[in-house]
Amino acid sequence: MISQVFILSSKGDHLIYKDFRGEAGCDAVNKFYEMVTTLTGDQPPVVMKHKELHYVHIRQGGLYWVATTKADSSPFTIIEFLNRLTALIKDYCGCLSEKSVRMNFALIYEVLDEVVDFGYIQTTSTDILKNFIQTEAVSAKPLSLFDLSNVGLFGADTQQNKVAPSVAATRPIMSSRGEQGGKNEIFVDVIERISVVIGANGVLMKADIEGEIRVKCYMPSCSEMRIGLNEEFSIGKSQLRGYGAAVRVDECSFHQAVRLDEFDTYRILKLCPSQGEQTVMQYQLCDDLPTAPPFRLFSSIERDTGGRLLIYLKLRCDLPPKRSVLHLNNNPALPLFSYSLFSSLSQELSSPDQSAELQPQNKAVHWEIPRFPGGAQLSALFKLEVPGLSSASLQEVGSISLSFELPKYTCTGLQIRFLRLSPIQPGASQRWVRYVTHSDSYTIRI
Amino acid sequence: MEWANQLCENRQFGSKMTDSKYFTTTKKGEIFELKAELNSDKKEKKKEAVKKVIASMTVGKDVSALFPDVVNCMQTDNLELKKLVYLYLMNYAKSQPDMAIMAVNTFVKDCEDPNPLIRALAVRTMGCIRVDKITEYLCEPLRKCLKDEDPYVRKTAAVCVAKLHDINAQLVEDQGFLDTLKDLISDSNPMVVANAVAALSEIAESHPNSNLLDLNPQSINKLLTALNECTEWGQIFILDCLANYAPRDDRESQSICERVTPRLSHANSAVVLSAVKVLMKFMEMLPKDLDYYGTLLKKLAPPLVTLLSAEPELQYVALRNINLIVQKRPEILKHEMKVFFVKYNDPIYVKLEKLDIMIRLASQANIAQVLAELKEYATEVDVDFVRKAVRAIGRCAIKVEQSAERCVSTLLDLIQTKVNYVVQEAIVVIKDIFRKYPNKYESVIATLCENLDSLDEPEARAAMIWIVGEYAERIDNADELLESFLEGFHDESTQVQLQLLTAIVKLFLKKPTETQELVQQVLSLATQDSDNPDLRDRGYIYWRLLSTDPVAAKEVVLAEKPLISEETDLIEPTLLEELICHIGTLASVYHKPPSAFVEGSRGVMHKRLPARTGSGESTESPDVGTIAGGSGTETAPSIIPSQGDLLGDLLNLDLAPPTTTGPPPPTSGMQMGGMDLLGGGLDSLLGGDIGGSAAMGAGFGAVPAVMPASLNAPMGGGLGDLFDLGGGVGMPLGAYIPPKTVWLPAMKAKGLEISGTFARRAGVIQMELTLTNKAMSVMTDFAIQFNRNSFGLAPAGPLQVLSPLSPNQTIEVSLPLSTVGPVMKMEPLNNLQVAVKNNIDVFYFSCQYPISMLFVEDGKMERQVFLATWKDIPNENESQFQIKDCHLNSDAASNKLQASNIFTIAKRTVEGQDMLYMSIKLSNGIWVLAELRVQTGNPNYTISVKCRAPEVSQCVFQCCEAVLKN
Repeated sequence: MISQVFILSSKGDHLIYKDFRGEAGCDAVNKFYEMVTTLTGDQPPVVMKHKELHYVHIRQGGLYWVATTKADSSPFTIIEFLNRLTALIKDYCGCLSEKSVRMNFALIYEVLDEVVDFGYIQTTSTDILKNFIQTEAVSAKPLSLFDLSNVGLFGADTQQNKVAPSVAATRPIMSSRGEQGGKNEIFVDVIERISVVIGANGVLMKADIEGEIRVKCYMPSCSEMRIGLNEEFSIGKSQLRGYGAAVRVDECSFHQAVRLDEFDTYRILKLCPSQGEQTVMQYQLCDDLPTAPPFRLFSSIERDTGGRLLIYLKLRCDLPPKRSVLHLNNNPALPLFSYSLFSSLSQELSSPDQSAELQPQNKAVHWEIPRFPGGAQLSALFKLEVPGLSSASLQEVGSISLSFELPKYTCTGLQIRFLRLSPIQPGASQRWVRYVTHSDSYTIRI
Repeated sequence: MEWANQLCENRQFGSKMTDSKYFTTTKKGEIFELKAELNSDKKEKKKEAVKKVIASMTVGKDVSALFPDVVNCMQTDNLELKKLVYLYLMNYAKSQPDMAIMAVNTFVKDCEDPNPLIRALAVRTMGCIRVDKITEYLCEPLRKCLKDEDPYVRKTAAVCVAKLHDINAQLVEDQGFLDTLKDLISDSNPMVVANAVAALSEIAESHPNSNLLDLNPQSINKLLTALNECTEWGQIFILDCLANYAPRDDRESQSICERVTPRLSHANSAVVLSAVKVLMKFMEMLPKDLDYYGTLLKKLAPPLVTLLSAEPELQYVALRNINLIVQKRPEILKHEMKVFFVKYNDPIYVKLEKLDIMIRLASQANIAQVLAELKEYATEVDVDFVRKAVRAIGRCAIKVEQSAERCVSTLLDLIQTKVNYVVQEAIVVIKDIFRKYPNKYESVIATLCENLDSLDEPEARAAMIWIVGEYAERIDNADELLESFLEGFHDESTQVQLQLLTAIVKLFLKKPTETQELVQQVLSLATQDSDNPDLRDRGYIYWRLLSTDPVAAKEVVLAEKPLISEETDLIEPTLLEELICHIGTLASVYHKPPSAFVEGSRGVMHKRLPARTGSGESTESPDVGTIAGGSGTETAPSIIPSQGDLLGDLLNLDLAPPTTTGPPPPTSGMQMGGMDLLGGGLDSLLGGDIGGSAAMGAGFGAVPAVMPASLNAPMGGGLGDLFDLGGGVGMPLGAYIPPKTVWLPAMKAKGLEISGTFARRAGVIQMELTLTNKAMSVMTDFAIQFNRNSFGLAPAGPLQVLSPLSPNQTIEVSLPLSTVGPVMKMEPLNNLQVAVKNNIDVFYFSCQYPISMLFVEDGKMERQVFLATWKDIPNENESQFQIKDCHLNSDAASNKLQASNIFTIAKRTVEGQDMLYMSIKLSNGIWVLAELRVQTGNPNYTISVKCRAPEVSQCVFQCCEAVLKN
């Protein structure tokens, strides 16, 4: 049972405060901010307690979303609820930011009123709520350069027109109410997160992929949508179909609105998407990547005659040549002994658009590569002045972690074959399918 | 003036909030302007004005002055405006109860509105206005809404009943709303069902004995059907409600499990966890050889693993729960070790939890993998995490014997890195490994000794000194090493000083010729130059041992040590059982029972896992295998090593428990046993033998030549203890008072030992407690609380511990009890669960009180009444017991019983047999009648007990027996 829900800005301003049960005072808000800002690093911030009141919070959009409770409630329920609440508000207001929350406070109060009653969560489905919510959203869309880039010279269509701008999906679902001019758009995103551990000997020690298919729908009247996945898609270890090259995952879970009657034979997901965003399917794959991991690294670490630490790294991207990687960050962790104040770094990088810096507080070197085409190979040499360097300390150079984004690529090979809407939408409806793979924890040990 | 102040405040707010127009008002007379706008004719303007008012309300400004104006806007067709006004009302009605009445008419009217949205809105808002006067107007509309044709209105009304119950419980019962609510459980709309279940569950919590949520196979079936149709949130309510049901047999339990299992693949983790809770609980009833049991175990793993791919917040909460599940049923996740490997971008709190679970899952099969991981972690950046990782390696060695060698070599590799804190942690864990596998890995001592200089943390220094002392005969320069430590003796922490003292004594006993000087030096440092009583006491003990009987000293100090056990940080089984019942709730995150953090009235009911019963048996039959006994004395988990005993203390085996994760062990816990040489330790050694203790006292009396005067003060308490040997000595003759027993051993309470008994003195029930501080730090802030119990016992006042309890001090406290606390039937009947808090932690124990202290003074019944009552109570309520070996004649027995308020009403002699008729009245008004037959010359008495509440008979009998035999 939720006692109160409140939303605070990162500075601690009260944006929204709603008391459901009248059992705790509103001083709880300030107390919470005090507690959360004085928390030390190793204290878990998720569930905090002050006197009789328990605070559960998440951070999204730079805001604190807090729920308090006095009873022995389920933190899972509360965290899930807060996540749903942020999703709802994102649906209604377009994006999550201090500004959009401030502008739409009346709407948010109305949503909260319908979503929770006396601390009991009622519903968080956008579809059901649509019937009750009266207030119109005020869109807080920031002026974006992306919008301008879509207009080519002399008004000609540019190439980018074929790609949905990344802000396209950040508008309120309800703003088109009553007016026919709203865009009929539907976005289907396949998002995967990959975590990999490659041992010092180059052996792949662990590789997991977590993926999800997310639908964001702006269509007011869509009765049924059919999403076709690769036909060779298989679940579980035993179920191998055809001649090997299957797209395989270990486990799958679906949104409760998804009907699976055609899934077993045709790999088709049927659902009636409600307006707003929803995760239709989640899947996982452990330890059995269909392809080689996207990056390999060769390293050598030595001490030169001047007592400097030399770290030589060669990074190879094993993706097909057409693909490329965006924003690759590379963090070789340094020896634990490196007394940050005395270390200094000099580097030799293989191309000028890369950059590298020493981050003393993390004891790491940060190597950034803005764009990395598939099949290419990059190298870097870091020289570090470390006082008191001994040969034993070479062993302590920690692992290298990579963070990156692979657009238009899924590691499992999962593809959307087709996306059909019925009945056929009147007017121009646009359907977008996007793929992206993010790194979750990509570690290469030295 | 107030007006002006408010304006100033408004201005401040205005300038701080710059983003939105509603928050930006720097103009003068804001309230005044708003007032004008609220009374405007234009709807749009009104709406904007109300919005502004609510914006001010949110940031904490007082806009209650606008109450009448806002209420005036209430009568409108515009739903948006209406909602805004209601929002305002909910906030301010409580502060303006008189004005709130103005709104009632509109509410009542709205409840009749043709639009169901408005009806629901009105009933919902009315429930939120927590003003007594309004509630009476609420009843009629609520009654209608509960029977409304629209499910949206019904589900809102169902919640409203809970709201009303919170304000005025009596009213809800009188109006019969509870029955209507029960009917709603069979509603056609699942949303209504879910809300009705939620409301009933909450109301039932405040009436533990009521049968509100009448869970029976039929209603369970209904709930299970509704489960499939509900929203995810409704499913949670229903699953949580199901978890409280006790299935009659394993078949029913299996069928429920089968219907709950599909919930495990739900996308909402809260649904999954509630389902896991139900399954974990009901699984307890399934026979382990059942195929289905194995299937179920397999089904539980994937959803738990899936939770780990969620956001870090959920991951953390999930890991805390998995930690419990792994302790209860390790087989579920034994193949899933890899998912607990740490990712570099996990937040530190997630990393630490994962590490803990990795250790719990470590086994021979996966140890190589685990060690490789741990070694990697030891090179990470975060110092706390690295330390934990190193400790974890040590725990692996202790847990999985086959891996010990590999662990030791891994630790040696880490020591080679010379990273200061890694080395220190490694030495601490190697000490534990030596304890577990003596005489196996001593070859590494040389490497350890190389690092002596770099040790700057007390724990590591103490560990190193222990190693040197323990293996003094194998270290050539042990005396030099120890001597080097001795130079800065007074700058060391107590932990190190105690360790050094013991180590040098060990060294002396092993190499007496070369080290005589050293041992004298340390003894005099410890006894004469130190202010620390623990150190002095230990010093004297050694001194006396060495001077009186060196052979005995050798036997004591160098005796073979008991091996340390594997996992000492397991949660105590009874607590674990309770926590398993609370999976997915805050209790499972804090790892504390809900009674420890939820205020009195709600949710303090202790939950238990059900016992396994076959199809034919009743649920009552206890299963010894699955349930640890209810009383505190039986629950001491066998895994706790014998660290607390005296021998262990002398040998100083208690350096540090091999525990490494969980909350950092407080320093006081470390030395817990080490200092009770004169306190509890000797006490227990002498075991109540007065002669012995007197001799001991005399023994000490002989020492004063060496004993500095100041020593007498702290010694006083200890010696006093020795003489005052608990059990009833020095108590006035009268009611029977059982001897004090240890309720909470110091081992389980971070050094606080509690023993106690119950007494009834002059009509007042007293709990007599002896609190002993066996930790190193001062204990303060004592408080006590009881769980609900069969006779409503509750502390009548706070626990009177006025001065802080310093280490090794003992105090006696007498706590008067009342019998007006909350009542809940306990098993056994006289079981009492107690929580004691001090500045260190909260501790729980349970004890059993003699029921005789509940016997009141006016328990003497009139003869006629007695006869009539005796006949009136049905014969099946009579139970007969034998009291054996009692050598009292009937008069003496009668007197003895009378002193405990068991009154003899009549006596009859038939054929050499004395029949005593007795009456007892319990504090809650229950009368117990008894007939005691005493045959001259026969030491065995027969007692028949008759009572309308037959469950007390057993207790009464036990009491009579205890009284008669003492």
